[in-house]
Amino acid sequence: MSMFTPTYLAQQLINALNLGSLYALVAIGLTMVYGILRLINFAHGDMMTLGAYLALAGISALVLPAWAALVLPMLVIALVGVLIERLAYRPLRGAPEVAMLITSLAVSSLIQNGATMLLTAQPRPLRVPSALTQRIAFGDLSIAVMDLGIIALAAVLMVALGVFVKRTTIGIAMRACSENLRAAQLMGVDVNRVIVVAFAISAGLAGAAGVLWSSKFGLVDPFMGFVPGLKAFVAAVIGGIGSIPGAMLGGYLLGFAEVFFVAFAPPELSGYRDAFVFALLLIVLLVRPAGLLGRGEVNRA
Amino acid sequence: MLVLDNVHTYYGRIHALKGVSLSVERGEIVALIGGNGAGKTTTLLTISGLLRPKQGSITFEGQALTQHAPHQIVRLGVVHCPEGRQIFGRLSVLENLRLAAMHRRDGQAVRRDLERVYALFPVLAQRRNQAAGTLSGGEQQMLAIGRAIMSQPRLLLLDEPSLGLAPLIVESIFKVIATLRDEGVTILLVEQNAYQALQVADRAYVLETGRVILQGPARALAEDPAVKAAYLGG
Repeated sequence: MSMFTPTYLAQQLINALNLGSLYALVAIGLTMVYGILRLINFAHGDMMTLGAYLALAGISALVLPAWAALVLPMLVIALVGVLIERLAYRPLRGAPEVAMLITSLAVSSLIQNGATMLLTAQPRPLRVPSALTQRIAFGDLSIAVMDLGIIALAAVLMVALGVFVKRTTIGIAMRACSENLRAAQLMGVDVNRVIVVAFAISAGLAGAAGVLWSSKFGLVDPFMGFVPGLKAFVAAVIGGIGSIPGAMLGGYLLGFAEVFFVAFAPPELSGYRDAFVFALLLIVLLVRPAGLLGRGEVNRA
Repeated sequence: MLVLDNVHTYYGRIHALKGVSLSVERGEIVALIGGNGAGKTTTLLTISGLLRPKQGSITFEGQALTQHAPHQIVRLGVVHCPEGRQIFGRLSVLENLRLAAMHRRDGQAVRRDLERVYALFPVLAQRRNQAAGTLSGGEQQMLAIGRAIMSQPRLLLLDEPSLGLAPLIVESIFKVIATLRDEGVTILLVEQNAYQALQVADRAYVLETGRVILQGPARALAEDPAVKAAYLGG
């Protein structure tokens, strides 16, 4: 059985870490925004799409070096996130939560249809510099430089975020807002500022994930962010929505579950990977309704 | 210092404050007493900007508070220590205190205030790195007041500081309230515990169903037969 050789296992482990890193990056943003505004941001996956298109433009039209083709989209998408909050969500502050949810659906279809109209629905190939597609051999195992890069970069971004949220005053304010928005205002916290920072980080991370995703899979299209966005939502809920460590954990768990399902289940079942992911969600929620690291709904009165 | 003039506040369609007028002078402790649902907390929330009046004016040292967002009102020196304490349970004690001083730019004075809070409530110093949610009810109330001190209040709005606490702790909390007044903080105190409130206050207002029905020096109100019957248990 070649399935159980150490090489095959190690290969799947790398794949799982890769996919998990990407889900985690996207899930963090969803959970941050939900934590503060109780908004399930359906347009979050589309930040991936926009990031990927920017990377495509950066690499093929502007011939940017690889690092710039990652950093630039991150910054621009962070700004896009801030703009969307300002134009679409802020006017609805204080309205029922469902109004914001519907608005985020509208923003999502605006982006998807806008991209289709301007750029066609035709998937475009994204060619990364050849240095990134080279493979490094570890005995029988060979790993693409890019795969290692994705895993490492995601880890760096998450550690940086962790330090930011734990140590800085705005990070403390962010945690306070996600626990009790009204009380945070009474403490002199400028809630709008915290929300802007949350949207910037959230969109920036999703933009980065979009660049990495399209680099790994080689294609960019207007709808590419939808399924990963949905999966990231599942990851955030499994981890306990509102909890940043939960989103990270949920992202990696989902990556592992999906990759190992495809790797070890009978081949005729691998088409059901998404069904498997959602079944996993149902099981986790049956056992722990608030998610793995969730603490249940705090009183927001 | 603070003047409310004919303030009307609604929760949706519910007319909660029906023309409340009151004033607080610098250096005073003014108590707001009354039964459940009389509008005491609503009055404080309307002052601190979490609720907006439909009608009427609120001025603090000549500034119209209704023009300001809640976090700006804090910066003006009007600090609201809310009912039910509302400390951030997942943040540490120190993080709660730091958060409340986040808007201040006077680092030295912030450190002095932190020392002052720790001196007033030594237990908070001992537990500074503990999650605030693990504190006892009394300690959480101390943290809530400590947090308000960190925001550098000139006018402190205190909502039900004695709620659900053991008598000994209530006594020490009221001692701290008197200390704060001696240090020059003006206090608007909301209490169901009318007896305690009238002991510490200079003046008081009695609210009933969104209206001020009585006002005067605290001592006189404590002797008022109607107040005695309604709020002091005969």
